[in-house]
Amino acid sequence: MRRISNRTIFLLILMGVLVLGVVFFTVRFFLHAGEWVTFPGSPHVYSGSNLSSGKVTDRSGVLLLDSTGDSRVYAEDEAVRRATLHLLGDRYGYISAPILEEYADALVGYSVVNGLYGADRTANTAVLSISAQVQKTALEALSGYHGTVGVYNYKTGEILCAVTSPSYDPDNMPDIEGDQTGAYDGVYLNRFFQTTTVPGSIFKLVTAAAALETLPDITSRTFTCNGTLDVEGDTLVCNGTHGAINLTQALANSCNVVFGQLAMELGPEVLEEYAQKLGITQSLSFDGLTTAAGSFDLTDAENFEIAWAGCGQYNDLINPCQYMTLMGVIANGGQAALPYLMDRVEGGLLTSYEHGKTTTKRVLERSTTDTIAQMMRNNVVNVYGAWQFPDLEVCAKSGTAEVGEGGTSNATFAGFIRDEAYPLAFIVIVEHGGAGSSAAAPIAGKVLNACVEVLSQEKN
Amino acid sequence: MKEILDSLSQLAGTVSAGELVNGVLRYLFPVLTLVILGRCARSLLLYHKEPEVWAWLVAPNGDRLPVTHWETLLGRAKTCDVVLDYPTISRSHAVLTRYDDGSWTISDVGSKGGITVNGAATSMEVVSQGDKIALGGVEFTLVPITKKQEVIQTEVRTRAGGLIHPFFTLFFLTLFQICAAVNLALESGEDDQAILVAFGVLMLMQWGLFIFMRILRRTGFEVETIAFFLCTLGLSVIASDAPGELTKQLFCIGAGLVVFLFLCWSLRGLERAKKFRYLAAVGGIGLLLINLVFGVEQYGAKNWIYIAGMSFQPSELVKLCFIFVGASTLQRIMTKRNMFLFIAYSAMICGCLVLLSDFGTALIFFVAFLVIAYMRSGSFATIALIVAATGFGGVLALRFKPYILNRFSAWGHVWEDAANTGYQQTRSMMCLASGGLFGLGAGRGWLQYVGASDTDLVFAFIGEEWGLLMAIFMVLAVVCLAAFVVKSASVGRSSFYTIGACAAGAILLVQTMLNVFGTVDLLPLTGVTFPFVSNGGSSMIACWGLLAFIKAADTRQNASVAVKLPSKRDLETDKETT
Repeated sequence: MRRISNRTIFLLILMGVLVLGVVFFTVRFFLHAGEWVTFPGSPHVYSGSNLSSGKVTDRSGVLLLDSTGDSRVYAEDEAVRRATLHLLGDRYGYISAPILEEYADALVGYSVVNGLYGADRTANTAVLSISAQVQKTALEALSGYHGTVGVYNYKTGEILCAVTSPSYDPDNMPDIEGDQTGAYDGVYLNRFFQTTTVPGSIFKLVTAAAALETLPDITSRTFTCNGTLDVEGDTLVCNGTHGAINLTQALANSCNVVFGQLAMELGPEVLEEYAQKLGITQSLSFDGLTTAAGSFDLTDAENFEIAWAGCGQYNDLINPCQYMTLMGVIANGGQAALPYLMDRVEGGLLTSYEHGKTTTKRVLERSTTDTIAQMMRNNVVNVYGAWQFPDLEVCAKSGTAEVGEGGTSNATFAGFIRDEAYPLAFIVIVEHGGAGSSAAAPIAGKVLNACVEVLSQEKN
Repeated sequence: MKEILDSLSQLAGTVSAGELVNGVLRYLFPVLTLVILGRCARSLLLYHKEPEVWAWLVAPNGDRLPVTHWETLLGRAKTCDVVLDYPTISRSHAVLTRYDDGSWTISDVGSKGGITVNGAATSMEVVSQGDKIALGGVEFTLVPITKKQEVIQTEVRTRAGGLIHPFFTLFFLTLFQICAAVNLALESGEDDQAILVAFGVLMLMQWGLFIFMRILRRTGFEVETIAFFLCTLGLSVIASDAPGELTKQLFCIGAGLVVFLFLCWSLRGLERAKKFRYLAAVGGIGLLLINLVFGVEQYGAKNWIYIAGMSFQPSELVKLCFIFVGASTLQRIMTKRNMFLFIAYSAMICGCLVLLSDFGTALIFFVAFLVIAYMRSGSFATIALIVAATGFGGVLALRFKPYILNRFSAWGHVWEDAANTGYQQTRSMMCLASGGLFGLGAGRGWLQYVGASDTDLVFAFIGEEWGLLMAIFMVLAVVCLAAFVVKSASVGRSSFYTIGACAAGAILLVQTMLNVFGTVDLLPLTGVTFPFVSNGGSSMIACWGLLAFIKAADTRQNASVAVKLPSKRDLETDKETT
């Protein structure tokens, strides 16, 4: 009998398998229950193809979305509906809302302990960091152009504005399939997060940063621009003939000759290292969003191409949201808050969410960023005109990105406000808008003013 | 704090009585369960093992070696039950067997030195008080205990249920049932009467059985309490999902109890039980053949037959027959080492089930077969060989009939096709998650709208309405039964009982495993029932039958109705004389 009873080990093994399996599932349950409960089709929280996920407001309490009922209710103001559509998603799943999906469990009032018990009685509210007023202003300022405008607070990380154009009114959906004019090209894309674009001259800030940290005598050097630069038989054309200039003047005039020379002098390794270090080729992930990664690839590039790459052409690509963060880094002395959209989820005793601040690594030396900031301030004062931004100490760089043959260039404009009270970094991209300083800078002015107004109202 | 008060006052105005009751009960149920299962587990798993002495073997040097089983292996090896360290005695020498009537035999199990009883060489011989047994020339005498000693032993051993009284455990279970019934009735609306009556009948059954056991002087009720606990969960699933089937389920619990008592009675006498084997062998095959001929396909498997409007799954009852066929006495195991007939019988059963496309049940039988085969042979190598051969056969079968694979195509990635092939599993996990740890409340789930939710997906059903904690308790209840089998194996009377209990435990474990893991996509969904919980009559009856085998291995004093006690008359005459 002792032998037989020793053989009950087989039963112990079976018990072990059963218990281990249940433990494994329990661990999975604690890790993923929030995803399961908000998975499309989940019986208690879905009606049709939309999640009944509580309400969404902007930072000032303006209701952007109420999905507690059978059908989604968007903002009252038609312009606000258009300006926030890409953050909230549409009714039919053409435009997804990764932010709402990310926090769906908190929004429906789910907790792993209590499940959905009682969730039907309390509607939770998500408060986004954006301002509906600013969104609206930005979309109107783009006045029909395709493009994107982004503004964020580089001290706290809150995104005040993340607008993409074209957009449409979800309550009055246009005939997008049948459109022949191109007015709705890429309308389902959120250009701010999901696309990359040719930067043009705003990229010269990256080249300048690399030069300041790599070439010791750079600030005392004098360059000469004759309007063209011959590189091994190819001719790099400048936007003017700038004569003898220093680095600050070269940036202000956006001199291709000087930055082309600097790029060649720094060489592909250093440029690629800085593009990597400043995050151009990385993507940001926050609130369920992952931004498109830009590119900066000088593999097998000839000198002429390296020169153009240093001026933000060749095959350079940036993501608007990521580049805006880089502006924050420059503004904040080499390290800035990472951007976010979901400020908090209110309601529910156990389930609420509140954003915790996260920052970038130290990316640049403080002396470098101070110098670049001063040079960018000089751009505004001496070239773009400080009158464009009354009462605001804006530092910026414009760009005119050539895209393809023949078409009007993209206007780009990026920078920040150098002010402890309004620490805002921004980027404006206007597709086929023409010159950066004339097409994009005024948009930046309007949006920044709107932001400052919102912030000062909050302070009072 | 203000928030909490606000929400409380807000709730008080809008919440119905049902919701208020549920709000409290959903936290009370896991506590009650912990008490019920905790008491059962402590009683079943932490009792002090007291071996029964059936005889003494008197060695040449005068030592009296206690014989503590009905089947005792004698030999030189350390794994023998009575270790006889004499050079002429083989490692496994002989088996000493006691019979129901108190007579004894000794059989040679392939020793070198052989056996003589009173000088005559033998391979198997009856031995009685004073006979001289020589093993390899070393002489022993057997001194069986007298009736009087047996009675004293009965009085002296600790009674089952003495420390943790089953009465109170059952009382807590009744409390649980009353709360569950009230909670379900408040939510259900028009079916409230039926639900209250059904739970009332269940309580009557369990107290009836308890009192009946008391009359039979049996004080161990933990195993039955666990079964009734699981039945309670099963009944509340049906109350939530299909109140019309409550009567049927209660009827089947009743039928299960009858089968349970009948099997306990038949297992009480080992000779009687051994006779049952042949009947069971024929019955098992017969049932499956009837199934093959008259079976009706339902949910992809042809394992149903209809008799007078009642649907029935014969394969469930074959489980009981299979254990009878597989279990074997030590004397037989040690002398007839090959298991050819048993292997052939198992292959036949599994073959029939595969023909019926009932792969889940085939797998259960296969594992039960492995457990029995290992218990009888003790050889992992043999088991590995059998598994490898079967696996090879399985691969061949899939190669020639690839459509079988389609049934398992969703396994492991149910979320990728959540609306079609993964529908049942993904809804199960969504609902499990919706329930959290404490559940939405009995009768308040959604999973009932998914097909087979009260049988194949019952783990998720309980998870949604009662919470993950309860679903885990449900699994632990089954584990507790199996653990008790392991614990009591070393004080078992006969290997027939130990093997039977192990096979029953293994079947319960594998069924639980296939059911739970299928629901949560750790294994393919095979449509196997959860013991005692799933809605299903044949399954319920079979589970109670399996429980009888576990009861038959329970040798705690006065614990089990499947274990014989000295008759009342013997006890009384003992009292008169002392």
